[in-house]
Amino acid sequence: MRRVTEAMLEADETSRGRRHDARRLDLLVALSVSDLRARYGRGAWKSLKWLLDPFFATGVYLVLVTFVINRPGTAPGLSIACATVPFQLVIASVVNGLSSVQLRYSIVLNTRFDRTLIPLSGAITEAIAFASALILLAGMMAVYGVVPTPAILWLPVVLAITFLFSVSVSYPASLMGLWYADLRTFVISAVRTLFFLAPGLVALDQVPAGAQKWLKLNPLTGIFESYRAVLLYGRSPAPWELLYPTLFALGLLALVLPVYRREQRLFAKLVDG
Amino acid sequence: MSARISSGGSRPARISARGVGVEFLFDRQRRLVSPTLARVGARRIGSRSWGLRDLDLEIGAGEAVALVGRSGGGKTTLLRTIAGVFTPDAGTIAVEGRIGSLLSVGAGVMSPLTGRENAELLGVLAGLSLRESRRAAPNVQAASGLGRSFDRPVSSYSQGMRARLGFASADEADPTILLLDEVHEALDHEYRALVHERAREILRAGGIVVAAGHDHPLLEQLSRRALWLDAGRVVADGPFAAVRAAYLESSPERD
Repeated sequence: MRRVTEAMLEADETSRGRRHDARRLDLLVALSVSDLRARYGRGAWKSLKWLLDPFFATGVYLVLVTFVINRPGTAPGLSIACATVPFQLVIASVVNGLSSVQLRYSIVLNTRFDRTLIPLSGAITEAIAFASALILLAGMMAVYGVVPTPAILWLPVVLAITFLFSVSVSYPASLMGLWYADLRTFVISAVRTLFFLAPGLVALDQVPAGAQKWLKLNPLTGIFESYRAVLLYGRSPAPWELLYPTLFALGLLALVLPVYRREQRLFAKLVDG
Repeated sequence: MSARISSGGSRPARISARGVGVEFLFDRQRRLVSPTLARVGARRIGSRSWGLRDLDLEIGAGEAVALVGRSGGGKTTLLRTIAGVFTPDAGTIAVEGRIGSLLSVGAGVMSPLTGRENAELLGVLAGLSLRESRRAAPNVQAASGLGRSFDRPVSSYSQGMRARLGFASADEADPTILLLDEVHEALDHEYRALVHERAREILRAGGIVVAAGHDHPLLEQLSRRALWLDAGRVVADGPFAAVRAAYLESSPERD
């Protein structure tokens, strides 16, 4: 007879933990892929839709600013793109989050699974969609003849922070969509207001000094300014531009995730079948 | 209150519920309200109702149970509680076994996705790995009998086709506990016979089948035992013919 030692128990625990992690990863991929297919469909037109979607969302406005409307400042079209493009990911994650559980009502009512992954899978879907929007940034840089500097190496960090921030807002959005379904439109308007309470249409240094300190309280300010730093000014982002949105997102997740984990057990009671 | 659901391993299938209660809260417009918001006073409660109340139940290996009763009596709530979709607000429930379920009106499938895409998603939800689930898709296609429709969006399916897809996907994970709600009544006679044959296989292998519905002759083919639920409580539990007779006697206009 084999003696069960503590080391064997520990190894068994580790192996079970790995299987659990692998299962969660598979579930996350399956949820994200299904969300992506539901949103972008399938077939030859899928890629074209994927490429054109960000253009219709913000690109038309950028074309107007660049070629039609005369705006002050350096490369105004690129400056605005540095705000509208990342904001597109943030608001798309909120919109996705608001309906993410209701959209999956059929599986929520039929099967027991880890629903904590639903908002994360929505944010991943929107991040994949957002990837094509980066073409707009490259296009704006080309139009204004802005040459990338070594600061562009910061772009993956800036993108990662944008994604983290989008994930963090997708969780409260998901809860709000279930708790107060009537307020979905209001929530979207509130997030849009946050855009205008950040230096979205003009860069932070063009805002009066007195207002700057208030605008810096908005985590979107750091995100927008870090894109401008890397792509427009060709310098490394200031530490606060990276740290403040990161800490804000982590703080929001620390606050909302425990509530979400507890609440996800009740989702089947709250969705309309 | 607790719910313990384990995939069971080599242990025999078993369902054991003690004093189980599932409560729903509503606002004054009869919209569902989260208990979390009600507790902190962020939403006012207009009314509350128990979907299940003080429910005791034992179902052992190789047993099939039919759930009968009027609509809103608690049949679907019980199936969802066994499946782990609802967590009890009172009492405890322990479920040993791999669950395959066909519970929601949409048969657990998502309309914008094709049959294949749904099969892959449902496979992962049922516990298969992504790779296993993709490999199993042709089996689901064959078992569902959907043919070329398998690669078309489910939004174009009839209720019966959805139920076929839902059942074939659930069955692919080799369940030892099969839960069937009224939705399986939407199946055509040919496929219904297949479902029943599969249910009998599960029972012969020591599994459990729990089915709810209003088609009593259909339920009687599946199970000798019946549970009559009304207002979330067990009114009668016993041989199918006796429970059915008692139920029909209490509400002769329903059947």
